[in-house]
Amino acid sequence: MSASSINHEGSKRERGARPVSEIRPPSLLGINLFTNLTKLAQYRDLIWTLSIHRIKVRYKQSVLGVLWAVLQPISMMLIFTFIFSFIARMPSEGLPYAIFAYTALLPWNYFSNGVSNATNSLVSHAQFVTKVYFPREILPISYIVAALFDFSVACILLGGFMVYYHVPLTINVLYAIPIIVVVSCFALAISFLLSATQVRFRDVGVAVPLLLQVWLFATPVVYPLSAVPERWRTFYLLNPMVGIIENFRQVMLTGSAPESRSLLFSAAISVALLVGSYLYFKLSEATMADYV
Amino acid sequence: MIDLKFDSVSKKYRVYHELDAESSENLLLRLRHKLRGNWNDFWALRDVSFEVPRGEALGIIGQNGAGKSTILKLLYNITAPSKGRISINGRLAALIEVASGFHPDLTGRENVYLNGSLLGMNRREISRKLDSIVDFAGVSAFIDTPVKRYSSGMYLRLGFAIAAHLDPDILLLDEVLAVGDAEFQSKCIQRINQLRKAGTTIIFVSHNLGAIENICDRVFLLRDGQIFRSGKPRYVISEYEHLLTNMPAWSSSGVKDGGVQPAAQITSVAFFNSQRRRTTIFATGEEARAEVELVVQEPIEDVLIEVYFYSAFGNLHSHLSTEVEGNKLNLAPGRSVVEFICPEIPLEAASFKIEASIRRRESSFNEHIDYKHAAGINIIKGKSVHGVFHTPHTWRLRPLPLEKTEDPDAVVKTAD
Repeated sequence: MSASSINHEGSKRERGARPVSEIRPPSLLGINLFTNLTKLAQYRDLIWTLSIHRIKVRYKQSVLGVLWAVLQPISMMLIFTFIFSFIARMPSEGLPYAIFAYTALLPWNYFSNGVSNATNSLVSHAQFVTKVYFPREILPISYIVAALFDFSVACILLGGFMVYYHVPLTINVLYAIPIIVVVSCFALAISFLLSATQVRFRDVGVAVPLLLQVWLFATPVVYPLSAVPERWRTFYLLNPMVGIIENFRQVMLTGSAPESRSLLFSAAISVALLVGSYLYFKLSEATMADYV
Repeated sequence: MIDLKFDSVSKKYRVYHELDAESSENLLLRLRHKLRGNWNDFWALRDVSFEVPRGEALGIIGQNGAGKSTILKLLYNITAPSKGRISINGRLAALIEVASGFHPDLTGRENVYLNGSLLGMNRREISRKLDSIVDFAGVSAFIDTPVKRYSSGMYLRLGFAIAAHLDPDILLLDEVLAVGDAEFQSKCIQRINQLRKAGTTIIFVSHNLGAIENICDRVFLLRDGQIFRSGKPRYVISEYEHLLTNMPAWSSSGVKDGGVQPAAQITSVAFFNSQRRRTTIFATGEEARAEVELVVQEPIEDVLIEVYFYSAFGNLHSHLSTEVEGNKLNLAPGRSVVEFICPEIPLEAASFKIEASIRRRESSFNEHIDYKHAAGINIIKGKSVHGVFHTPHTWRLRPLPLEKTEDPDAVVKTAD
């Protein structure tokens, strides 16, 4: 029987001081942002493992594997090129329409796939939520990370397109990094909001694909921002995805610096919304298991 | 040192009423129902306060719905209290089966990493414990096989082995002794004892009174979301027994055509020990008598009366039947009692649901004249059971007569 006893060499050593915690009824004022973020950092291995898990599961037992990350934006690009370039003659700011659309589709698909998967994450992991404690935001986060991985893969092909269409690479391409940070914050913010709400109202899960469809056309993905009539522009720019997508395309394809006003606006909205939706998420986390 | 403290903790659940089929067709009604709310508040815990000192093993017993699991859920931070405050001093982990979180396409190894990190281990810790986890679960040969190819037993054992490798200050146990075969269970008990010796504080929720008595220093009996009794295991368990025997013993079912009086009805099922005292607790190997009381409306010929012992998971473990021995049983109108006598009750230590039926011999198994769910019984540790039941037996030592030493070669020769 000695073989079955469990030896933890050195496991006590790594534990350190005993953590002291206190659980109280949920209240907005009781949420300590710092404590929650510290706890989230403690669980970074889980974020990593779950994100890898998403990617692995998606491509396991599929023949094309990770190629799917590229096939989705490519097929959308082909469809849009056919409709908006051959049939509708959409302006594309002097760029070949295919690369014009593909470039914008990358951050859009990152946002859209991330949000639609993350929205369902709590409900689809009910068996975790009702059985094990861990910071629940890890579930939506892991889907956003997995979508970021797909985005990176699809970016490799963008490089190929840029070579093919002789688009010069400039130092301004580095502006893409802060833009990706902003779109990630925004995607997380929307995911926290929607996933926490879906636990109580399953309508959210049904509404999200529709919402994303409308949102796609309210964002300059298949057409340039310049095609939007001037008098609608102010109203149109309220959509944070406008500043993100338009600027991403600009820094990648025209080699110019981003338009700072719209990008800063998107960044400000994204960060403010992220803080707000994180608080909302943590508040509803307290009783999530009762509803899911 | 106080490891756990509940300070006037209450937990309220909202129980929603379903709309009837007709109203739920109507969108407006449904919307109003959803928004205005059509619920009752259900208090799963009411103003519960207690403290658990470091190193104590606290057992929590009570009937379903008494609030046992709610206490665990609150401690494990799965849900928050509605009122009050809970203080936890130390790293807390639950020894629960997490196999339901396995992904079928991933290998055993990948799933260990996934579930280990869900339970709060980091990757380094899991890598170090991986061999031990796999060994504990007994799936070494299949660790790189996708878990969808596992047998259900392997699946559960692996899920459980991960949790068993947590090294917490405070351990929560919820009906753990229900996973796997006897050998695996004894590994689990060994692990629990190992943690106990290391000074781990333990909270153990179970219907298995035998296990509660074995493991715990102190026991709470919960009733309607409050601590009804607390104290030494033996005392609280006997209070629980008293509570159970004074409850309405069953619910009726199986009679589908409501209104029609069945030809015979089971009016009570009761168990008695060797001193003829009514009880619901027996030790393995103890004498037990079961009495099934009947009211017969009209004469019925050749009936069978049976008592079933179902595990908490709905598996039939044994039954008592008038079919096995004795004469054909004919019932005359009036009241009567069938008494079953078991000289040694062979069941293992666990709790069992009791169901009783009366049916005609020629009718199929599901066509009962009457079928009742009675109050359960609890088997505590008596005669040792390694396996699922106790086989009554005796033994003696029999010296063998001295034999001529045989030349082993001679045996080979004859075989030629």
